[in-house]
Amino acid sequence: MPIPPDVYKKIVTAKLYMDENFHEPIDLQRISRQACLSRFHFHRLFTRIYQRTPHRYLTQKRIEQARRMLAGKELSVSEICNQVGFESIGSFSVLFKREIGSGPQHYRKEARMRQEQAKRTPTAFIPHCFIHPHPGD
Amino acid sequence: MITKMSHATLYVTDQQKAYDFYVNILGFSVHTDATMDNGFRWLAVTPPDQPNLNITLLNPLTGFMYPDPEVRNAFKLLLEKGSLGGGVLYTPDCRATYEELKAKGVVFRSEPKEQFYGIEAIITDGVGNWFSMTQTK
Repeated sequence: MPIPPDVYKKIVTAKLYMDENFHEPIDLQRISRQACLSRFHFHRLFTRIYQRTPHRYLTQKRIEQARRMLAGKELSVSEICNQVGFESIGSFSVLFKREIGSGPQHYRKEARMRQEQAKRTPTAFIPHCFIHPHPGD
Repeated sequence: MITKMSHATLYVTDQQKAYDFYVNILGFSVHTDATMDNGFRWLAVTPPDQPNLNITLLNPLTGFMYPDPEVRNAFKLLLEKGSLGGGVLYTPDCRATYEELKAKGVVFRSEPKEQFYGIEAIITDGVGNWFSMTQTK
């Protein structure tokens, strides 16, 4: 059965609320209130539209933000863990590894190395046909 | 034997604005951001579910790629008119993504419509390109 346009707007409003407030302790009740829907209906519709549960979406959003912060900011792993909304460093590390494939420290080390290399030798990352005139041009 | 596409290029009028659109609004990840001494910037991003497909966001009006002034003028015209068709962006739910991106200020050339292959809206990136944004059947 198609989802009515006004219900789409409600679900999207709640998703945008999660996008802006992921660092806070958000639960299903709080999010579904944003959508003016019952917890049951919100969970069902969100999962249908985004093909993941609200909880999984929120976790992925937090991990993605942590990934950006690990690569770009000087905060410690535990500070980043707190700032993106995880309550325990243990669960953060486990979930990060599950989503990204390596632990936060290891990810940070690799990202930093890559950034340093891109600064030092940018041509190592760029196919030469993009930086040298082509024959015949 | 060619087995996959590893890099595709989107030409853009402004790489920083392109960064904002593809990374901050669409949620793509930065794969490589490397700037050469002469100012040429190699900015490659990857879609959320395709970490191995590098989409390079390049400005054809700078650097060595297109030294011929006629070619540059042609690119300039096409980009300024937003005439370059960038391809198809897949979404699991076209109507929800449309509502969400519209709320974030993204400009669409057409709202979601039923087509024989799915539900499609036409989205613009604001830096020279338009795409079919499609939820396939």
